[in-house]
This record gives sequence, C-alpha cells and structure tokens, in this order.
Amino acid sequence: MSLVLRIALIAVSFLVIVFVIKKIRRTQLYIDDAIYWIVFSVILFVLSLFPQIAIYASELFGIESPANFVFLLIIFVVLIKLFNLSIELSVQKHRLNRLVQKLALMKVEGEDTLNQESKCESTDFQLKK
Amino acid sequence: MEKRLLIVIPAYNEAENIERVVDHLIANYPQYDYVIINDGSRDRTETICREKGYRYINMPINVGLTDGVQTGMMYAYENQYDYALQFDGDGQHDPLYIGDMLRAMDACDICVASRFVGQKKPKGMRMLGSNIIQFTLKLTTGKTIKDPTSGMRMFNRVTMRAMAENADYGPEPDTLAHLIRSGAVVKEVPVQMHERVAGESYLSFSRSIRYMTHMCFSILFIQWCRKKVDLKRGDAK
Repeated sequence: MSLVLRIALIAVSFLVIVFVIKKIRRTQLYIDDAIYWIVFSVILFVLSLFPQIAIYASELFGIESPANFVFLLIIFVVLIKLFNLSIELSVQKHRLNRLVQKLALMKVEGEDTLNQESKCESTDFQLKK
Repeated sequence: MEKRLLIVIPAYNEAENIERVVDHLIANYPQYDYVIINDGSRDRTETICREKGYRYINMPINVGLTDGVQTGMMYAYENQYDYALQFDGDGQHDPLYIGDMLRAMDACDICVASRFVGQKKPKGMRMLGSNIIQFTLKLTTGKTIKDPTSGMRMFNRVTMRAMAENADYGPEPDTLAHLIRSGAVVKEVPVQMHERVAGESYLSFSRSIRYMTHMCFSILFIQWCRKKVDLKRGDAK
C-alpha cells in the first residue's frame, strides 16, 4: 500500500470520528444510536492505522485482496444496521398509528361529554332568559 | 415558606403493588403531593388508579421509564414544585426517608437515597455492577457516589428542568454523571430499601448485561460527546 493512500485513509477515518462526535453533540443523538456510530468510526480508524489487521484477516479467510476484506466487513456491518433500522422503523410506524388512534378516540370521548355539557348549558341559558 | 415536593411514581404493570404503595403515601405522608405515571400498563393499573381516585397521568402507549419519568419532571416543573422525587411504584422505596432527603436538598441539587452510606456493600452480581458504575463515575467526575443505581432520587428546580427538557435523560447513573459534569452537586442520604413484594423485577440477566454495557459506554465515552447542560440559566426559580 502506498504511503499516500495510508495517510489519506488515516486522515479520512479520523475526520469521520470528529464528524460523528460533532454531530452527536449538536443533534442530541440517542445514546444507543451514538454508541454504534462511535464504535464504527473507531474501528475504521484502527483499520487504517494498522492495515496488518486487514491483511492478516484476508489471508485467514482466503480473500485475495485486503481491501475486499474491508469492503466485506463494512457491507456486513452496514447491512445489519440497515436491518435493525428497518425493524425500528416498523415499530415506530406502529406506535405512531397507535398514538393517532388513541388521540382520535380521546377526541370522540371528549366531544361526547362536551355535547352533553353544551346541551345542559343551552337549557340553562333558556331558563335564565 | 414550606417547600413543595412532588413524588413521581412511574408504574408499568404494577397492579399488584401500586395500591399498597400509594395508600401508604396518602395515609401517612399527606403533606407530599404525588403523581403516578401509568406507562401504558397492560394490567389493571389504570383501572385501580381511576377507581381509587389517585392522581395519575396516563401515557397512551408504553414509552419506557426514561420518558415516563421525564413526563413527571415536566409536570413537576410546570406546576412550580420546588422538588421532584423519583419513586418506585413497587414498594422498594420507603417514604420514611423523604424528610431526610428534603433536609439534604438545602445543600445540593440532587439527593440520592443510598443503601451503602455508612455500611459496606454486600457481595454479589448486582453489587459488582454497582461497583463498576461507581468506579466509572469516580473516573469521569471525580465524585464518589456509593449507590449510583439507586432509583430514589430527588431533584431541585434546576436539575428538574434539565431532566425535563433534554432528550435521552434517563433516570439512570449516566444522567447523574452528566449532571455532575455540568456542575450539579449530588449528596447521598442513607436509607434502607425493601425487597420487592410482588411482581417481576425489571432486570433479568440479559437485561442487566445490556444495562451495564450501556451505562459504562455512556458514562465513559458518550459523556464527552454530549453538550453540558447550562444549569445556571436564569429562569429556573
């Protein structure tokens, strides 16, 4: 691997860490989600610092190029995250619908009692008149 | 002037306990206000609250302890309470110690009801967890909190607002660490706690492991990425 590429990789993965941390600070990302991204960016950084890890692992699994190992790893990790996000999204959809339904039901209940109250009020009004 | 305290009682499927806990409060400690946060329970918790005429907030869906307690903090803050106490609905906490905690609040922002002040921690898995969290707290804040996982904590106006306003402020040790780093003063008051009488404890083994990793990670690493809350902002009175 050329020196330029190594320096570029280290610089970029370090920037990713800084970027992630800055964004977490600003957006108040939930801790559970933040943990994933911090671990992810740190792994990326470690891999760029010690390419021997990738070289060793690719030899171990019989993968021709270490770069392919890195791709494989990242795709795998990202796929799992994607799957989890999909699950979470479904849960959120369900919860949002539930919430809207409950709100709608509450409104009906509220209007029912309101209608009764307003009827009483109108008779009061007539009496006073 | 007498300080006003609101006891926030989060309850999720606590039908077996809630009556005993709240009746005890009403009968023996009428000077404190309370509110139950019914967090979308599937059992009779809501029915009991309604029939007995308890003061309760009903969450339309289950939101979890974090947001449940947060709702209580919002309620306490908006209704001008001086102090808010996080109090379990399962009978583990004894209101006997509320008086001590209130007195301690004169000199601190958060008061933790601690099982291990002035006495040694018993050994065991749970205590191992407690010790690890205590160590990480010491490491990141320099303060020793002997019972960081205690779920009985009292907040004043300033920390109550921080709990109410910010996302992901769980009623957990990592929030404690974050508030200490933001300048909050924490004190511990020695208490005894009861064993849970009925119902199932929230912490199973796998949950405990998850909880521990989350806490350690959060206290050791995430704290540095979080913005400190501004506790001195003027409008908390």
